[in-house]
Amino acid sequence: MFSGVRFRALRALLSDPMGALGLILVLIFVAMALFAPWVAPADPIKLNVMEKFQPPSLAHLAGTDQLGRDLLSRIVFGARTALSIALTSVGLAGLGGLILGMIAGFGPRWLDAVLVLMFDSMSSLPMIMFALAVITIVGPGTGTLILVVVLVSIPAYARLIRAQTLSLAGADFIVAERAMGASSARILFRHLLPNVVGPLVILLSMDVPIVIMLEAGLSYLNLGVRPPTPSWGNILYDGYTSIRAAPYMVLIAGLPLVLSTLGFTFLGEGLRDALDPKLRRGAAR
Amino acid sequence: MSEAVLSVENLSLRYRVPGGTVAALRNVSLAVRQGEVLGIAGESGCGKSTLAAAMIDLMGANAEVTSGEVRLNGRDILALSPAERRRLRGREIAMVFQDPMTAFSPVLTVGAQLVDFQFNLDGVPGREKWVRARDMLARVGLSDPELAMGRFPHELSGGMRQRAAIAAALLMRPAVLIADEPTTALDVTMEAQIVHLLRELQADYRCAIVIVTHHLGVIAELCDRVAVMYAGVVVEEAPVDALYHDPRHPYTRALLACDPARIEAATGRLPAIGGRLPDLSNLPPGCAFAARCGIATDRCRATPPPCVALGPGRSALCHEVTP
Amino acid sequence: MTALLSIRDVSVDLSAGGWFGGTAPLNILAGVTLEIVPGETLGLVGESGSGKTTLARAVLGLQPISGGRVRFDGRDLIQPADFRAIRSRTALMFQDATASLSPRMTVGEAVTEPFAIHGVAVNNHRDKAAELLVEVGLPPEMAARYPHELSGGQARRVGVARALALKPALVIADEPTAGLDVSVQAEILNLMADLKDKHGLSYLIITHNLALVRHVADRIAVLYLGRLVETGPTRAIFADPRHPYTRSLTAAEPKPDPRKRRTDLAIRGEIPSILRRPNGCEFHTRCPLARDICRTQPPALKDLDHGRAARCHFAENTTEGGRHELEY
Repeated sequence: MFSGVRFRALRALLSDPMGALGLILVLIFVAMALFAPWVAPADPIKLNVMEKFQPPSLAHLAGTDQLGRDLLSRIVFGARTALSIALTSVGLAGLGGLILGMIAGFGPRWLDAVLVLMFDSMSSLPMIMFALAVITIVGPGTGTLILVVVLVSIPAYARLIRAQTLSLAGADFIVAERAMGASSARILFRHLLPNVVGPLVILLSMDVPIVIMLEAGLSYLNLGVRPPTPSWGNILYDGYTSIRAAPYMVLIAGLPLVLSTLGFTFLGEGLRDALDPKLRRGAAR
Repeated sequence: MSEAVLSVENLSLRYRVPGGTVAALRNVSLAVRQGEVLGIAGESGCGKSTLAAAMIDLMGANAEVTSGEVRLNGRDILALSPAERRRLRGREIAMVFQDPMTAFSPVLTVGAQLVDFQFNLDGVPGREKWVRARDMLARVGLSDPELAMGRFPHELSGGMRQRAAIAAALLMRPAVLIADEPTTALDVTMEAQIVHLLRELQADYRCAIVIVTHHLGVIAELCDRVAVMYAGVVVEEAPVDALYHDPRHPYTRALLACDPARIEAATGRLPAIGGRLPDLSNLPPGCAFAARCGIATDRCRATPPPCVALGPGRSALCHEVTP
Repeated sequence: MTALLSIRDVSVDLSAGGWFGGTAPLNILAGVTLEIVPGETLGLVGESGSGKTTLARAVLGLQPISGGRVRFDGRDLIQPADFRAIRSRTALMFQDATASLSPRMTVGEAVTEPFAIHGVAVNNHRDKAAELLVEVGLPPEMAARYPHELSGGQARRVGVARALALKPALVIADEPTAGLDVSVQAEILNLMADLKDKHGLSYLIITHNLALVRHVADRIAVLYLGRLVETGPTRAIFADPRHPYTRSLTAAEPKPDPRKRRTDLAIRGEIPSILRRPNGCEFHTRCPLARDICRTQPPALKDLDHGRAARCHFAENTTEGGRHELEY
């Protein structure tokens, strides 16, 4: 019966043009990331100084950079970097936020007070300052980036989940469960979880592009992914430094950022409507 | 008999919904005279709240008037410009809602809002508006009106809020007061007090009152005439005593028979009206009540019922009723 | 017959909040004593703020009690585990039936949930759901619907089906017909009566609707400010209410007969706040018969004849005079 619910949600998502578009864009990027070695026409880090700054052509569909590397291949492999960082960090942060938020919302009041104090002190730190501080201590790299994102985003997710849990814990259908003798575990996992996870999924999918941007931004500042690993931020940086020689590079490096942002945002908005039985399109009355 | 203050003539209204339209009102004609209390009774989905909203021109955005007129003091308000209609509301016609909380903004004091409602009174100093508001609160039975003026809506009890909402509606001395389920959200003791208050105010101000409610007890206590609605039509209209003691339409009879307050013996089992309301987006060709009616014939199912006049101020929409 | 449910002197105090417990607790229920025997329907009547919903929750252990004792089927319920042990034999129906159903669960999942909770083996959940839905007069196809797709009456029936899934001994129904049309209200009440006969249920029906309680309850208990003010057989109470509050309530109900219009108010004023309980008899601020003693001496719940009791100084002797004064 539960799989039936999911299936209906998927159908509802596809019937919404924006949601379907978001899903398609996201799937394209995921496929690019998963099958990068097969999709990419060339090796993304192989140098060929003879062919540097080639504008887009049949041989190099997106042209080449200052070291003659195939840009399309770099963007395809860059999707791998961007998505693996964004999905891992957002996923870990979401899981952490879910657990801490539900504990805060459903657990004893003193624990709630302690957790809320923690969330508040975490989110009072400015994100970029915090990220720079962590990078200074731990050193730049993929792991650092993920750690920063997880630490910074957990409070926002946890607070959302806590608020949802608190408002639902007093709802009639939860009291009804208690009156029927349901255990706390059953109430938490069978009833609270499905009701709080929807808004979280939406928030997460809308935060993925923010993390992609953050990765690009920090890589652009040479504080994120280390060259020569292809990353959209690195490509953007290269493009910016050679903007006179090859103005197309910046545009081409910016395109995946724009498209993935739109894709995840549309998907998030589509999911919001699709996951809620009340907002589901075509729901028969 | 004096001229009607507010009349609805052959009004039909439908709502646009995804995948079609819902016929909320079909050819409704009703009138209320000065000093008269008209009750509109019916169950959920019968169109009574839509009718009340149409009377004061506060229909939802998806409502569409397909025919008919709403006349206030002889003028068709549906034909007026939006600005002219707005000027009528609050001054010539006012409304009291089921939930008195919605009548007031939560962030302003009751007094500030009551003064605000008098924005139409040009040239009257603020101090005088304040006094008028306070006097009106005293008139509707708030024991300490000066104190209540300074309170926020949520600081008043439900009964107090409904009194204040009535005060707000009567502040401009409207010719017509429309009350949609004015006592439904209240306890029995408070309901009795509001009914009592409305009767007193009506006697004092001689305004026309339209009470929309599903509560047959409230109608019996308060109204002079009653219109019973079902599936968007008025099925029976009668003076209150006649309606309760000699109901003619089968639906009115069934509705009265179901009311546990009218059944003397404690039985444990109560009569119900079997079946359900027809689909308003796909109405049957004949009488809308035919499927649930005990005396329905083939004619009832095939052709729409006529409006049968049953004496002064009495009529029923039924094939099987004879004068 | 021994009582199925018996509560003695049950009090509920809610802490009024504040980190340091500076404010006095809210005394929601003050020493309520009630009994329900098997097969009986008890109507619990009171205005909003009288504590009737709190009482229902206290009986089921959903609201911790601060004094008194709850017994179910001869066993004292003290620990949370004691209450959990009776959850398969009690059921609660909510005032807002739609809100009491999990919004992301289908009707079929909702009505069979009690089996899952109590580990009762069910061969085929689909058949069981269909059986329960048919029993409450709903088509089996309704199992695939979500709560928001139901009408008020349908949601109410689903609530009844779920309450009866485990064949409980006691069903507590909080305003079972609130928000329903009269024609649908009768259907729900008749269904509850049929199921009571069929399964030998006991009901505790919480309502402010006197017309309804007159038809369904064997006995009535009237609450005012969390205190029992009158209790007794329904017929006797309606024929001759002994507490002025009960009398005011019955008189306040609008009569669906224009020939019986009241000429004056049966009761004035509003229910006082439990933060400021009046001295003496707590009803004296609204009582048409209040005398000096009522303002100073709190009356006890006096046992009267025929299993009746009333909390009034003049419960035995005001009947005639009081009625004359009230009927004007």
